[in-house]
Amino acid sequence: MSEVAGPRSLQYETPAHQADAAMVGMWLFLATELLFFGGLFLTFLVCRHQHPLGFALAGRNTELVIGAVNTVLLVTSSASYGAGLLLIERGSRRGLVLALAVTAALGASFLILKGFEWRDDFRRHLFPGAGFGLSGEDAGGAQLFFAFYFIATGLHGVHMLVGLGLLGWLALRARGGAFDRGWTTPVAVVGLYWSFVDMVWLILFPLIYLLGRAG
Amino acid sequence: MIRALRGVAIAWLILVLLLAEELVATFVVPGRLGPCIVLGSGMVMVAVVGFAFMRLRGSASLAQAFVVAALFWLLVLLGLGSMDPLTRTDYPVAVTRFP
Repeated sequence: MSEVAGPRSLQYETPAHQADAAMVGMWLFLATELLFFGGLFLTFLVCRHQHPLGFALAGRNTELVIGAVNTVLLVTSSASYGAGLLLIERGSRRGLVLALAVTAALGASFLILKGFEWRDDFRRHLFPGAGFGLSGEDAGGAQLFFAFYFIATGLHGVHMLVGLGLLGWLALRARGGAFDRGWTTPVAVVGLYWSFVDMVWLILFPLIYLLGRAG
Repeated sequence: MIRALRGVAIAWLILVLLLAEELVATFVVPGRLGPCIVLGSGMVMVAVVGFAFMRLRGSASLAQAFVVAALFWLLVLLGLGSMDPLTRTDYPVAVTRFP
């Protein structure tokens, strides 16, 4: 951190102090986000225990191919972002801008695929409520599953949109020369957020698409 | 630079292989072992992202303390929140069927 030489706000003793505060602040924010999503995971755990057959029925009616492709897109986007951070730390602004563009394209592709998936879900009447598309004695549990599905993937999608906005902001600043070898903190901070959104999906993916099909 | 980027590429490859393992375990492994492998692989993937892309190991001590605290409170949330519904035996779970 002693090499940090970016713009310094006056409440910090040194640019390194400012960078440390920014990174720790983002980690603290992500800790609150983890507990936010933790409530969702708890809901899934309890409801699945009470409605195992309904959750299995619903899980088998999700679009596994789209879910798996989206998982590859997200882990690839985290890798490309990580590459961009390494590149700017070695002084390559162009490499950073390129990596940000690739990351944003992968993230946007994720959301577009998710949009197609939701459209199919609505066409198959899988949104919980009157006229629900699955019938039988396990349909109640399946409706609970799809309530979780739409809330969880919707919240994740909102986080993705925020992340895409941050990527665009970073790309504009990077093109303007705001970052260099000595000042990469905003890039690292946004990278933490983007990877966290990736992490949330890595938990949602098996819960939504795989558990109902496993065993 | 190539060496540093190689680390990112290896992490990505591990993640893709773990995803493949999840998919195979879903359809091939019978019984309760399948879901355990699936969830275990998901958690390993989260750890790979944390260490490879979020650089958890090189983070400030305070940041690492926040991570440990968050995981601890997540454990409390999931443990206490699920203890009653998962262990209650004094009544049958009558709401498992619809209508």
